[in-house]
Amino acid sequence: MIEFVNVSKVYKATGTRALSNFNVSIDRGEFVFVVGPSGAGKSTFIKLLMREEKPTSGEIYVNGQNLVRLKRRKVPYYRRTLGVVFQDFRLIPTMNVYDNVAFALRVTNVSAKDIRSRVPYILGLVGLSGKAKSLPEHLSGGEQQRVALARALVNNPPLIIADEPTGNIDPDLSFEIVDLLSEINKCGTTIVMVTHEHNLVSEFDHRVITIDEGTIISDDRNRGYYDE
Amino acid sequence: MKGSSFGYLIKEGAKSIYANRLMSFASIGTLVACMLLIGASMLFSMNVNKIVGFAETQNEVVVQLEDGLDEEQIADVGLELGLVDNIYNQRFVSKDELLEEQKAKSPELEDLLTGLEGDQNPLFNYYSVRVKDLSVLTGTVMRLESISGVSAVRAPDAVAEAFSSIKRAVSVSGMFIVAILIVVSLVIIANTIKVTVFNRRKEINIMKYVGATDAFIRLPFFVEGFLLGLLSALLAFGLLWIGYNYVLDAVSLNPSAFIQSAYQNTIPFEEVALELLAWFAGGGIGIGVFGSMFFVNRYLKV
Repeated sequence: MIEFVNVSKVYKATGTRALSNFNVSIDRGEFVFVVGPSGAGKSTFIKLLMREEKPTSGEIYVNGQNLVRLKRRKVPYYRRTLGVVFQDFRLIPTMNVYDNVAFALRVTNVSAKDIRSRVPYILGLVGLSGKAKSLPEHLSGGEQQRVALARALVNNPPLIIADEPTGNIDPDLSFEIVDLLSEINKCGTTIVMVTHEHNLVSEFDHRVITIDEGTIISDDRNRGYYDE
Repeated sequence: MKGSSFGYLIKEGAKSIYANRLMSFASIGTLVACMLLIGASMLFSMNVNKIVGFAETQNEVVVQLEDGLDEEQIADVGLELGLVDNIYNQRFVSKDELLEEQKAKSPELEDLLTGLEGDQNPLFNYYSVRVKDLSVLTGTVMRLESISGVSAVRAPDAVAEAFSSIKRAVSVSGMFIVAILIVVSLVIIANTIKVTVFNRRKEINIMKYVGATDAFIRLPFFVEGFLLGLLSALLAFGLLWIGYNYVLDAVSLNPSAFIQSAYQNTIPFEEVALELLAWFAGGGIGIGVFGSMFFVNRYLKV
């Protein structure tokens, strides 16, 4: 599903070496936590996965596509195969919950009829059926993140990338979000979640990849226990 | 892109004018203000030019003929005059007619001139002509003087000088002011659009992350820029029309004879309306569309 081969990334502007000789392989249907201190290279890992950045050297394969060779105009189509959730939710403030979710479908030329049936279904899945008409500013942080998650899910992507999805919400609700992601994972969706919340990681029985200074320092495939 | 999403994007563009109404208001305000200023200066300088042009044509040049020419020779001079480009409205006045004209001016002159009719007449035959372009008056006068049978040419040199320098000053300063206004407008408008797009960079960013193509992101901005430009053009056009007619009405009520004759020569708004509307619409839509496209492109590189 995801394959990083000897990937290095140096930011030219600052000269920062974000990743060096980074190798990782994630299979279809896995749920992976990516942890590490700030500045370890987690954000760069996510940016490379989303093809926001290209690596300085090495190869990246996602879903059989070589991201290094992917043409610029093909990038939007690649991104449609991803569901992305951010720490700051990134909802459009002028659109209500329904439109924020429907937006991801409209972008991909889904017919109006399909939009009308898919959006309510997904909103029901994340427990927000009653809030369809609300604007993001009238929702709690946890609810906003569930809207973002609904938007990520609505295209039925094979891979979901979550960048610190619980960073801005209460611990109780964080648990709920990861629980929801785990449920989605059970249906076969691959999930990569970047976080620095250790107790959250230890609550779940998922693979944990620890990054520091641009390389993987541990890769615990079998259990949820995480020890610094 | 499918038809359904095309319609959706057009709607999105129109909706976002309302959703971002504060910035839309700022953009329309700036565009309208700039167009009003430019339009008003253009109308002002066009009118001054026309009025000065009219005053110019009121000047008479007297082509004085030598004494003792017979009718045929006088007619020859008339034909020669017809060949000079810069003059029109030529009119022959015989010395007898001139004498009567002078006599009619006042009883004193009548007393003085009575008895000088016929062979005693000390006056001269002349052609009265009008000059089209006073700025080349000197050349025209020299050309007239070279015609055989012409003894002297009397032209209003000082007036000509004054009028042509007014005309030149008005056109040059008018163009200068309009040019400055256009530059200033472009800077202000560019800034307004920049802020509008900047305020929505997050939205653009989100679209990029959910896999929107660049064309998909641009189209609503294109529609928005187009509509804002068109709306501003129509508003500016309407306001200018009302304002211009209001000023003309005020001028027409002024009792001064000079202002009255100037008023007769103002340009009616209807005469320039279509051209002005075309310029406003073209300029407004052009700036709206290219401005938003230019600044949106900056946020597409994610």
